[in-house]
Amino acid sequence: MNLWNKLMCYSRRHSPWLFHMNSGSCNGCDIELVASLTPRYDAEQLGVRLEGSPRHADILCITGPVTHNAVKAIHTVYDQVLGPKAVVAIGSCPATTNVFIDSRTLDGPLNKHIPVDVFVPGCPPRPDAIIQGVAKAAEILAARGNNPPSTELSIAAISAAEAPADNSPLVRIQEVQS
Amino acid sequence: MNILSMLWKNLWGGNRTMLFPARPTVSKGYRGLVKFDPELCSGCAICKFRCTARAIEFKAAKGEFTWSYDPGQCTFCGRCVEGCAEHALKEGHTEHALSQESAPPPIYLHSGELKHAYTVKRKTTVKPAVKPDASPAVGAPAPNPATGGTQ
Amino acid sequence: MNWIHGLVTPLARLLIFPGLLFAVPAAWFFLWVERKAVALMQGRVGPPFMQPFFDFIKLLGKSTPPRSGVGGLLMRAWPLIAVSAAAGAVGLLPVLPSSGGFEGDLILLLALLELPSMCIIAAGFSSRSIFGEIGSAREAVLSVAYNVVFLLAIVSIAASQHTFRLESLAALPASPMRWLGVLALLVCLPAKLHLNPFSLPNAEQEIYSGPMVEYAGPELAMWELSHGLEWVAATGLVATLAAPYITLWWLAALVFVGLMFAIVLALSTLASATARLAIDTTVRFYWQCTLIFAVLAVSSALFMRLRS
Repeated sequence: MNLWNKLMCYSRRHSPWLFHMNSGSCNGCDIELVASLTPRYDAEQLGVRLEGSPRHADILCITGPVTHNAVKAIHTVYDQVLGPKAVVAIGSCPATTNVFIDSRTLDGPLNKHIPVDVFVPGCPPRPDAIIQGVAKAAEILAARGNNPPSTELSIAAISAAEAPADNSPLVRIQEVQS
Repeated sequence: MNILSMLWKNLWGGNRTMLFPARPTVSKGYRGLVKFDPELCSGCAICKFRCTARAIEFKAAKGEFTWSYDPGQCTFCGRCVEGCAEHALKEGHTEHALSQESAPPPIYLHSGELKHAYTVKRKTTVKPAVKPDASPAVGAPAPNPATGGTQ
Repeated sequence: MNWIHGLVTPLARLLIFPGLLFAVPAAWFFLWVERKAVALMQGRVGPPFMQPFFDFIKLLGKSTPPRSGVGGLLMRAWPLIAVSAAAGAVGLLPVLPSSGGFEGDLILLLALLELPSMCIIAAGFSSRSIFGEIGSAREAVLSVAYNVVFLLAIVSIAASQHTFRLESLAALPASPMRWLGVLALLVCLPAKLHLNPFSLPNAEQEIYSGPMVEYAGPELAMWELSHGLEWVAATGLVATLAAPYITLWWLAALVFVGLMFAIVLALSTLASATARLAIDTTVRFYWQCTLIFAVLAVSSALFMRLRS
């Protein structure tokens, strides 16, 4: 039904729900992300809601260069986000590991593990830049529909994804981040 | 009751939101994207050494060099600009090649999309060699600029 | 032909007004009013008008995680039970004059109003997640806290007027007992609707959405819809008890919607003016401060009844 598809596409674009995950960042980008919900920048005018559970979200916003501890958590959370989804890498750390380049505690930029749709550079990026990134990700999400993103995942990520489907509750995040 | 009067003022005083996609102007000292002027660059590569994030790459070749910059890698600290300005002052110039524009970097969709490179021909800064004076009574011969100065 | 009339009127009440056809858009409208009012009072712009509708449609388009076994079946069932209970509660509201109803339908209304929070508690436990269990435990404690006052208030209104029939309750003239009861109901509403300052089960960033942590897609859409319908049912109940008796049906409907709008605005003001209270403060508030008044209301109702 074309009308239903158009309505679904429009709704996906105008109702992006975020889940924010920190994979070892200095918290600068996290602070700017929640600053984008403040009255000056007000991400809610686009329908953005910061959700508490990955299962509720469409867009996964990840900050931080990916530390070794966080790799498994990123795979777990990415698998827990359902349906049409998009990933936004906030800050220059997930895109290129920024100043932590060649550090032995890190495991590469984010797109080594999961497909990233939008990169928002900056150290930290301004809240208005983050909102632009989220709006672009919502557009990509709406256009993508129900087709999963084409990924060039590394071998490690593929073998992790082939593990039995992850329906287990979210206790795992708590373990990894503590 | 303070909070209620605050809410009342907010309700009737209008919102303070910038409607998307308007963006606020940055402040005066904002450290944004690094701008490179190929005309003024002397190829000293101090910016590459001072860069904290290895966003600047410098490759020297015969008679030219390639300077490249990746805003996605950059942390916008400004050390490259400081180093360039210091070096230019030491050499007696008033202008230097690097500056930081007050523009935040744009969002991009593919990794490495924002990286750009310039290939600059080296300028000749070395003066041509001069024959030393024939008279030995002058004392020690004046240092030959062609061989005595450092590059 | 009386039995047709007996069948058509309740069906019309359940499906058209104030049933599903009115209640679902009203739920989305009041959800939007609450978000927009809170945003304006915080100095922001807030979501556009059709936002809850778009949220609902978008959630219908997401996939759900596979659920297995009896636990999975239960997890899929709880949101549906919550939505049907809330829709049934809205359908029972005596908005229009002489629209039927039966003896004791106040009890049914209270039971149906109670079911959504029971379903939330059960859903949190059946998702077998730590965060779900914490959220459900908080919801259960909150439910015990405000329900005592809520039920005592309604029972005192009903007992003072010697009737448990909703239609008769709505048609009665105002009395101080009724206003006291309405005030007590208003005090319980923020806890029932999970608004600040009693929004503890909804603590999103604290406990990863609490009971809803494992829900996604169409199930989550049903939860959001049941939340909106709970708004309509609870504020509608207070509105019908507070509204004077009007014989013109369209005027009665208008006054009903207007009163609901006013209550939603008042609740939004309270929500934006306060912060979330911890569970012990909440329980202490409902059991120490308001319980006294509820007990007074019931005892005076019984006393008046004994005297008459």
